[in-house]
Amino acid sequence: MSEYALPLAGLRVLDISSFIAAPAAAVVLGDWGADVIKVEGPEGDPNRRIMHDSSNYPKSEVNYPWEMDSRNKRSIVLDLKKPEARAALDRLIATSDVLICNFPPPVRDKLRLAYEHTKKVNPKLIYASLTGYGETGPDRDRPGFDATAYFARSGLLDAQRYEGGPPGVPGPAQGDRATAMALVSAILMALIHRMKTGEGSWVGTSLLGNGLWSCGVIAQGALVGAFLPPRPPPDRPRSALGNIYRTADDRWLQLTIVRTDKLWAPLCQALELPELIDDPRFAVEAERRTRSAELAAILSTTFAKKPYEHWRKALAAREVTFGVISRPQDVPDDEQAVACGAVVETAIANMPRTLSNPIRVSFAEQRKAHPAPALGEHSEQILRDAGLSADEVAALRQSGAMR
Amino acid sequence: MSNETGGPLPLAGLVVLDVSSFIAAPAAAVALADFGADVIKVEPPDGDPHRQSYNSANYPRGDKQVNFPWQLDGRLKRSIALDLKNDQARAVLARLIKRADIMIVNFPPPARERLRLRWEDIEPVNPRLVYCSLTGYGETGPDRDRAGFDVTAYFGRSGILDSARYEDGPPGLSLPAQGDRATAMTLVAAILLGLRHRDQTGKGCWVGTSLYANGVWANGTSAAGALVGAKLLPRQSPDKPRNALTNLYRTKDDRWLQLIMVRDDRLFQPFCRAIGRDDLLADPRFADRERRKEYAIDLHRELAPMFAEKTYEEWERLLSPLGIPIGVIGRLADVIEDDQAQHAGIFADTTNPEIPRTVNNPIRLGFARPRTAGPPPKIGEHSDQILRELAYSDGEIAALKKSGAFG
Repeated sequence: MSEYALPLAGLRVLDISSFIAAPAAAVVLGDWGADVIKVEGPEGDPNRRIMHDSSNYPKSEVNYPWEMDSRNKRSIVLDLKKPEARAALDRLIATSDVLICNFPPPVRDKLRLAYEHTKKVNPKLIYASLTGYGETGPDRDRPGFDATAYFARSGLLDAQRYEGGPPGVPGPAQGDRATAMALVSAILMALIHRMKTGEGSWVGTSLLGNGLWSCGVIAQGALVGAFLPPRPPPDRPRSALGNIYRTADDRWLQLTIVRTDKLWAPLCQALELPELIDDPRFAVEAERRTRSAELAAILSTTFAKKPYEHWRKALAAREVTFGVISRPQDVPDDEQAVACGAVVETAIANMPRTLSNPIRVSFAEQRKAHPAPALGEHSEQILRDAGLSADEVAALRQSGAMR
Repeated sequence: MSNETGGPLPLAGLVVLDVSSFIAAPAAAVALADFGADVIKVEPPDGDPHRQSYNSANYPRGDKQVNFPWQLDGRLKRSIALDLKNDQARAVLARLIKRADIMIVNFPPPARERLRLRWEDIEPVNPRLVYCSLTGYGETGPDRDRAGFDVTAYFGRSGILDSARYEDGPPGLSLPAQGDRATAMTLVAAILLGLRHRDQTGKGCWVGTSLYANGVWANGTSAAGALVGAKLLPRQSPDKPRNALTNLYRTKDDRWLQLIMVRDDRLFQPFCRAIGRDDLLADPRFADRERRKEYAIDLHRELAPMFAEKTYEEWERLLSPLGIPIGVIGRLADVIEDDQAQHAGIFADTTNPEIPRTVNNPIRLGFARPRTAGPPPKIGEHSDQILRELAYSDGEIAALKKSGAFG
């Protein structure tokens, strides 16, 4: 597996970003071998404290969100409002391949961190920009979060509601992490461009753009005037064969039968309802649609009689497509979560397992996660690597520009 | 800044075989085509079943029946119809593979074995190929052979839908292909890493991902919490929040406003001043972050009637200048007219009269613009053209047709 170097070994990435989408993209680059330097302000990335600050985060002794979003990074603290610190950053930019930035545009201008500025320092630099809402337009300066920009503004949450109910709820950072993969793709495109032309470039993506891409089917529908009808609750679904059912042990099982013509008979057999197969009320798809509430009532009574495990086996045996609604606590012990490479071991004592990024390649394995850096843990080392003398580093420290 | 020039596209000259169906894998091929790759869709004689998805009860409906999902996921591709169970068709595929750079496959593993379409079958034919695999649940393990869809593998199995429910309510909802399209970006990244490896070593490789791993990755914060035994609390309904400052409020015009005051240490004071409620600042229940959370329901009781007195627009005008993050719960009907969505490069004009506008992939490049989309191919529309590119003679093509290789 490891006869080759990691595909991004030798690349230096400056992660000048906060919270989750942009830092998570830097994590992925680090997983594949890049040397990621996290440039933080004196107070540190607020993501260091999000587990405590946000009520929507599960609490733990272990600062798991920070560990996950900062693994294998080094940290340098620079107070970029101070000219000495800004000058030191230019030294880092001059020796880096990729710079990831998610400051809102006005802050970039103030700090001279827009692409035009960094390009002068290093024309081969790949500048990766993440914004909430894009680089221009009326809302370009508005800070965006995944709940606002990816989920709410895009129409996702409005579409994800049951008829008459409140909007859907996004899980913490769910859109951020999906967006990270688009940012990684953008950076890899730029690396190809640099290899072909020798030139650096600007690349980027927005949370809003990713939210709309993920609901592209319904967004494309809206563009031609087609809209999702409000989603009826599970007891009166539009299709009883694409619906959720509660099992005897209070879990939920999700039928997802797309090819209903092929799977209707196997489903009836799995449910031990052979008489339904040729029941004229349900024999053809059009009838099953028309009588979907009636059919859902029959299925719902049936599923409620036996536990999830029984139904899992019965449906799988007849190749009927279905899914369980797992709880997050089921995932760590799911053998398949390990098999698909999602759950991996770390070198972090109090967090022995973590989530790998979802990219798999035959020629290399992702780096093992080591503990996330303490604030400014590598400041001196990084500056010395960039060619600053011990005296210069000491002067920076004394001026408060660096810690 | 993005000075989006019309420079040479980064993937121009690459040939991609899209031997996949439905959405995640074909959507990855779309993104490659957007940036210049020549994508050949290898379809069975009756076509990718996704051509029929628009008939699904869970898909949007309009007055006129436009096959918009297929228009979206088939754009910029050419189609060749091959019956891969037919030996002669299989020989055609081998010739296609020989001159391809990338091949995207999403058959479940047993079908790959049957069709001899695993990487180990393909590598001898073209050792420089980047073979990209999408599965529902991974390449090994008890469920590797199970067909996965985004609603099952990405959303259900990963814990996302369970996380996305209000206390005592049914599981959350996902939208058609929502996880598929997010997964497509991972496939693109995997393929680009594969290309980089090929450039570095001269050798092809296997790359891939699964819907399940992508769902877990998206749900990574909750999943990482679960790995250390931290359990996500059930989401309370908007009238019983755990934090009233990161909550949903209904506005006068019956829209929902999402208050995301994560930095309430800095923002609570200017917020109270702006809404003319200095009394809240003096109230000991709301004196600091901890107490504001402790008394979240009380604070909600103060805020909810107030939010109901102004329209969403009025709130936006009041709160945005203070840097207080708020979001509207957008409705797609508005989003497609959203000026900001245009600025962010999210929608693009097409040359396809069926769908004059489409959804761009979310990757923006300063050095190149994505290609303009035309109509997607009919089944086998380019079969003859592609075969001629492979140096098949007219006689050979006629013989193949007769043999049933095209169905």
